[in-house]
Amino acid sequence: MSRTTKICSIVVIGIWLLMALAPSLLAPGDPLAINPTEAFAKPGFAHFFGTDESGRDIYTRVIHGAGDSLAIGLAATALGMGLAIVLGTIAALSPRWLDEIILRVLEALYAIPSLLMALLIIAFTGPGVGPAIVAVGLSTAPGYARLVRSQIRTLKNSEMLEASTVLGRSTWLKVRNHLIPNALKPLLALVTLGIGQAVIWAAALSFLGLGTPPPAPEWGAMLSAGRTYLHLAWWMSLFPGLAIVAVAVCATLIGRALGGKVKSL
Amino acid sequence: MNTIAWVGRKVGGALVVLWLVASAIFIAIRLIPGDPAEAIMGGPGSQASAQALAAARAEYALDQPIITQYFLYLGKLLTFDFGTSYSLKQPVTQVMGEVLPNTLWLSLMALLIAWLLALCFSALAMRAGRIGTFVGNLLEIIAAAVPHFWLGAVLIMLFSSALGWLPAVDNGTGRGLVLPILTLALPLAGFLTQLMRDSLTEAMSSQFALAARARGESRLKLFWRHGLRHAALPALSLTGWAFSSLLSGAVVVEAIFARPGLGRSLLSAVLARDIPMVTGIALFSALVYIVVMAISEGIERMINPAGDPR
Amino acid sequence: MNEQTLITVKDLSVSFGATPAVKNISFSIKAGKVLALVGESGSGKSVTARSLLGLSGGSVTASELSVCGQDARALSDRSWQKIRGNSVSMILQDALMALDPLRPVGREIGDGLKEHTNLSAKQRKQRVLEVLESVRMPEPELRARQRSTELSGGMRQRALIAQALAGNPQVVIADEATTALDSQLTALVLSQLRALKDQGRGVLMISHDLAQVAHLADEIAVMRQGEIVESGSAEQVLNDPQHEYTRKLLHAVPSGVPRYASLSSSGETQPSSAVGVPASGPLALAVADLSKSFGKQSAVDSVSFKLPQGKTLGIVGESGSGKTTTARMVLGLQKPDSGTVELLGERFAPGSESQRRKLREHMGAIYQNPLGSFDPRYSVGQLLADALSRGKSKRASEYRGQMEQLLEQVELSTNLLGRNPRELSGGQRQRLAIARALAPQPSVLVLDEPVSALDVSIQATVLDLLDRIQLETGTSYLFISHDLSVIEHMSDNVAVMHNGRIIEQGDTTEIFGAPQQEYTKTLLSAMPRLR
Repeated sequence: MSRTTKICSIVVIGIWLLMALAPSLLAPGDPLAINPTEAFAKPGFAHFFGTDESGRDIYTRVIHGAGDSLAIGLAATALGMGLAIVLGTIAALSPRWLDEIILRVLEALYAIPSLLMALLIIAFTGPGVGPAIVAVGLSTAPGYARLVRSQIRTLKNSEMLEASTVLGRSTWLKVRNHLIPNALKPLLALVTLGIGQAVIWAAALSFLGLGTPPPAPEWGAMLSAGRTYLHLAWWMSLFPGLAIVAVAVCATLIGRALGGKVKSL
Repeated sequence: MNTIAWVGRKVGGALVVLWLVASAIFIAIRLIPGDPAEAIMGGPGSQASAQALAAARAEYALDQPIITQYFLYLGKLLTFDFGTSYSLKQPVTQVMGEVLPNTLWLSLMALLIAWLLALCFSALAMRAGRIGTFVGNLLEIIAAAVPHFWLGAVLIMLFSSALGWLPAVDNGTGRGLVLPILTLALPLAGFLTQLMRDSLTEAMSSQFALAARARGESRLKLFWRHGLRHAALPALSLTGWAFSSLLSGAVVVEAIFARPGLGRSLLSAVLARDIPMVTGIALFSALVYIVVMAISEGIERMINPAGDPR
Repeated sequence: MNEQTLITVKDLSVSFGATPAVKNISFSIKAGKVLALVGESGSGKSVTARSLLGLSGGSVTASELSVCGQDARALSDRSWQKIRGNSVSMILQDALMALDPLRPVGREIGDGLKEHTNLSAKQRKQRVLEVLESVRMPEPELRARQRSTELSGGMRQRALIAQALAGNPQVVIADEATTALDSQLTALVLSQLRALKDQGRGVLMISHDLAQVAHLADEIAVMRQGEIVESGSAEQVLNDPQHEYTRKLLHAVPSGVPRYASLSSSGETQPSSAVGVPASGPLALAVADLSKSFGKQSAVDSVSFKLPQGKTLGIVGESGSGKTTTARMVLGLQKPDSGTVELLGERFAPGSESQRRKLREHMGAIYQNPLGSFDPRYSVGQLLADALSRGKSKRASEYRGQMEQLLEQVELSTNLLGRNPRELSGGQRQRLAIARALAPQPSVLVLDEPVSALDVSIQATVLDLLDRIQLETGTSYLFISHDLSVIEHMSDNVAVMHNGRIIEQGDTTEIFGAPQQEYTKTLLSAMPRLR
């Protein structure tokens, strides 16, 4: 990772964190404040991104939405990736027959498209923020688990570990000194790429009316509201969407700089 | 491995995967706390009538031991009986038969367009200079990161609201298909281009490319004879995944463009918590994924019978 | 024979940006003659070869560059295309990489005809079969339909040569065409090149190994750092080398050089302190009836050998003969189906890893590609500290003295301690691997193709180093290689492996002087020799 990429990544992450943790610094207004007289105001100096059907300021809402959107994305990634790391590692390190069984199950789960799987889970649990996190987490886990498994398996069969065996190191030392540290970096890349995807999936659920309910300033929910007024107020859809794209692109760029492959998602 | 053995293994593997998916769904339904009959009929909030609950109990043989239920359930699946949608009061298979062609057509077209776009862009990228490569790179990443639900909205704003070139809703002329297909195809194209460009660059700078040049082939012929195959291979092996992501995308796209299809039916079934319908669609899309996967692997085998060259 | 000059090169220079790769070299290629361009990696020999096809990719200047009668100094790519494959063609190093794995070899061979002739598809097919027959491809019709990945090593080499011959070129360039091939494949390629020469074609042979070209070349030009330092008739260059560098390259060839005689300098390898190896005492390694099969395929079939202390046992065989599987079983990395491995008189395998672990410090391993066996996060110092630590504290400072001692032992500068192994050259990496293996002061080293990826002169210094270490420490070597000349120079005893079995073993001079088995005889006759 080059120096410039490092600095850029840190700056970008810093901005997102600032938006998520202290949105009022960037947008002092109230994201939920209604002002019907100013409904459907075009983007301008008074309202950078315009206002929605109830006169709420879109700029304020996009900034304040960062917290929810990112938190849902992070939580879903943590759940999916945590599950994936556990399953993938077990599969990679266990004897052939167990590995085969886990692999088959993962393949079966992978056969259901992610969003369909998420919808399936929500059909069981009912809509809401919590179910959306669980749904996105669970539906992305099988794909990640397969990657984690193959990554650890490659490491496990590497000449590096063989050399360590020849030097007489115990299994625990090999795992601690070589396997875990060398598996971490690609996993970090994968997690970064995954956050971008999770934010998108979570927003998709809100967009479909199954995640965060309105009028909360969550990006997907804002897009869902904007859809109704697409011909009337394009700014209602444009800016929350740009925010999602920005997060996803940043996550991809940072993930790739960390050595992640696009192929992996 | 000969072809018959290969097909046999594929079919066997597909059956195992389908069986596992079916079993997972069966277990999931039983894991919901409370009365399974009630869960099937939309959960405690749906206020299903006693009569409907009794019908569900009979249909799913809920009074039988759980093992019997399981085998009855598998037996029904074997005859393509996915149960009855309680919200539509129709057999799930029938509903799917009506909407599936729409979705498959949409996804296939999108897949085709994405492939064509990716091929064109990868070929163009070979000639691009440093700035061109950088811009192309960024565009691919952005395209791959754009969510369908927003891209669809942007395309409608641009081509329908602002320019008025294309209808936002299908009016039966086929022109209404353009925007939904583009919405699905562009992100996939961005993703495929990244893959294809990588393998194309690798192929064009390989030893066999040098050997081909040393035989007197021009750059263009090198691209046609050697580059294309190598570019297509990794993208082809991801067709199963691509199709699966298109089905995901179709749920959103069908909602935005108000098109009838698998995704829309699924969405309304989820909102109504219509479990037979939802599980039926999930199972069915798994089947579609497996079939597409097998076809793409078959094509891959034709291009590259020896397996992974690297 | 008519000595028509096909290619004349005068004052050729090639540079990439500001970096010169080839500086003012001159040579000519004549019909029916073989010119060998010999030099190490980075000497500019491949760039020179490519510039004869207009494919160097750098900026080319020359006072004369005539290719088959054409002034090639300012040709357009289109005009070059008429020369490539038609008048001049090229055979690249690795047949697996140089043939498109996704296309049938018949198509690859026919492509050149498509470019240069107006033959119909049927005639082209006919010609492809003719070419395949001319390189003695078995079952040419079947092979033409197969892809290179489906062919055996030998067939692949034949297909590679055939694709260069399809256009009936006057000049063939063989760029390291024999490098990294086992001896029988090398012999195959050399005989094919000889056939080309006998057909009256001009051949430019490029190699880093003088022994490979010795019997074929009419003329030899030695390249170093982009310049030709010496050129002349093969006889003159090989028997009466004028330039010091040529002498060094010749000296580095291990075939026929007695045990412990230095390859990198004249004279014996001088140990700083020799240890007496006990004449009696347990064997360093005793392997009995070792077998291993994968599925129905038998990889190693009742292999037995003994390795006395302070000695070297060479295991030689072609790829797929079971050498590496044997090494892995000896190292306890693969469980044998049957048989035993004893290390210093104690049972090493089969057995549980925890039992084996306390014996591990007595046996080390060196691989062909050392980089793969290093943790990519470790610096040279951390790597050595890890090896010295015996699994305990890993703080590098504690081992500073020992680390410096190890580096000195393998003739590496102690300044390298903070560097990452990826920044080292191939020879330095292998030295580092040796240093790491020596850290626990083992009695036995298992070396699996330790010098196969190295240039001849680097190989010479590493082999000398191994000799010196053996004399100084009395370490026994199990030395595995496909290269007969390396084995001959390094081993006290030799075992010849073929199809998973040891078909012959005994004293090195006896086996190399009077082989009993037919297979060994074929191997030895295929061995390129200088002396």
